[in-house]
Amino acid sequence: MNILLVEDDRQVGEFIVSELKAAGHDCVHEMDGAAGLERATDEAFDVMVIDRMMPRMDGITLLNALRESGDRTPVLVLSALGDVDDRVQGLHRGADDYLVKPFSMAELLARLEVLHRRAGASSDTRTTLSVADLSMDLLHQEVRRGGTDITLQPREYKLLEYLMRHAGQVVTRTMLLEHVWGYHFDPQTNVIDVHVSRLRQKIDRDFDEPLLATVRGAGYRLGPVVED
Amino acid sequence: MQARDVLSSLTFRYIAQYVLALGAAVFALVGAFYLYLSYNAVSELGASVLEEGETLQIIYRGQDMAGVVQYIDDQAARPASHRFFYLVTDADGEKIAGNLTERPNYREFDEGSFGLELALPSLGKPVDVDFLARPVELGNGNSAIVATDYAELAGSIELVFQALVRMMAITVILGMVAGFFVAWRALNQVERLNRDISLIIRSDPSRRLSLDPDEGFIRTLAIAVNQILEQMESLMQGVRRVSDNIAHDLRTPLTRMRNDLSQLRARVAEPERGQLDGIIEECDELLSSFNALLRISALEAGSRLAGGTRVDLNALLNDVFELYEPLALERNIDFELDAPGQHVCTGEADLLFQVFANLLDNALKYTPDGGEVTVRLRPSPGADGEEEGHSIVVADSGVGIPAKERKNVFRRFYRVESSRTEQPGNGLGLSLVQAIVHYHHGTIELGSNNPGLQVRIRLP
Repeated sequence: MNILLVEDDRQVGEFIVSELKAAGHDCVHEMDGAAGLERATDEAFDVMVIDRMMPRMDGITLLNALRESGDRTPVLVLSALGDVDDRVQGLHRGADDYLVKPFSMAELLARLEVLHRRAGASSDTRTTLSVADLSMDLLHQEVRRGGTDITLQPREYKLLEYLMRHAGQVVTRTMLLEHVWGYHFDPQTNVIDVHVSRLRQKIDRDFDEPLLATVRGAGYRLGPVVED
Repeated sequence: MQARDVLSSLTFRYIAQYVLALGAAVFALVGAFYLYLSYNAVSELGASVLEEGETLQIIYRGQDMAGVVQYIDDQAARPASHRFFYLVTDADGEKIAGNLTERPNYREFDEGSFGLELALPSLGKPVDVDFLARPVELGNGNSAIVATDYAELAGSIELVFQALVRMMAITVILGMVAGFFVAWRALNQVERLNRDISLIIRSDPSRRLSLDPDEGFIRTLAIAVNQILEQMESLMQGVRRVSDNIAHDLRTPLTRMRNDLSQLRARVAEPERGQLDGIIEECDELLSSFNALLRISALEAGSRLAGGTRVDLNALLNDVFELYEPLALERNIDFELDAPGQHVCTGEADLLFQVFANLLDNALKYTPDGGEVTVRLRPSPGADGEEEGHSIVVADSGVGIPAKERKNVFRRFYRVESSRTEQPGNGLGLSLVQAIVHYHHGTIELGSNNPGLQVRIRLP
């Protein structure tokens, strides 16, 4: 991925750049909103990460300017403020996702991957999803693996659907809470893990090759086993 | 406010006593004055009868009976108010002259207590006489009776007396009515003060009592209470500011440290890598505590919820319930959601979800395997004139919280001693719950579930 990072805190910025590079992405770092806007209009990026509070031009203004000029590049807004109001504001003003500082790199990486893929396959009109020998019929809401029908509870079905739509990508617990449960909140315990392990029981237990893997310190990934 | 409250109020009782005492004193004074006046009037009347008798005797001595007859005839021409009645008889009792046809029913006037008795016609036995009269010996067996119409005087005396009594009664009644309104007003002010203070305690410590425009003890009291609130708030804010500053200032370096550690982790091999993972995890926990703390402060410091969206509480509780259900199933806990009817409130769904997630998390954490956790949603009748709201009770069969600890558990970082060692957590969960509930203009209280804990939330 070719990523533009606009972040005024030098240390945080440098850390993100080095982590993104370590993960195999190209990353350009700008220190303020005005420079960021200039860079964004000059070059094409796959995804942009924009800090909310910055000198010269704040993130929301930068985002508005981009959208007005017709730039549809997916944007993830970073913010130090954890208020719900802020999140909603950021999303309404054209941000595609929102992350509250401090965040883990795994969370940022996972979200950027998802934004990037989503931008690539903009209109997802598939009626079946499949990962290895696991398949999901979206019309009849049926799940089969290797010729065996798997019965899922409605929420398990939604959980699996989200994982299958993002097969091969790391999906964090927060992302699952936001997209499968529809709430943005901070679970005190890893209640999500219980749901995932129940789903894993149904789709993996009777089969040789496990599909649903836990990614340490990040979340889960659905797909054939790959070397980390 | 009920009339009974006003009547039993200190202000009204004070005013009533004052009015009664004042009324009694004025009544005694006026009564004495009245007695003096009417006694004088009767005495004067009696004296005039005596005088008239003497006049008749003098005339008889000088001009004999003819003179007397002439005099009496002359008197008939005088104005009625000063007229006397006469009956002149000879030795046999035969009438010679006068405008009385027969001996009237009279009482002989003499000075002394009889005068007083006549002066008080309406007290005690009525004096059943029409005339005040006195017989006079003229000589040669002739005698005369001089009388004056006493009933008229008695009537006017009684009239004056009744007027006095009525005036007294009206004064007392009007005094009581005025007292009632004064007391009602004072009580209203006290009640308003009471309502405002309890509202401030319950929901919004940054509010102040509104001051009465007119000076008075209520205003003085309100000013004093406001000063106390001011001091209380600045103390509370001081404590909060210190902890917020610590959290805020430590967050940035801690984040950097964590980032450095994770970069370091990429460059080292096991077993150092595992050790670093542990350190990073602890950093994350610290950071999430700081975040939770700052979030609580933001919720508490900011203004209350304004606007917000319609939140379907049934759906929201269903979602939370379903999220935690597998956790309960795993531990064989009897987990039940009891939410009949349709409940819609105004608020932030994410925040409310956080509230019930925290509560269910706690309930499940502290309930032993095979225990019970129940969530109940009911309409809540409006107490103290509030609008009808929603009551949500989360009850568990766990260890509960001792009554004396119940207030403390809402404090930041406070943990009940026994749970410190047994369960993970940062002691901010319930503080956040309370902050969110208050943000939604709601109330929260803890009770016993015999055994276990009952968390009762009321949302408007």
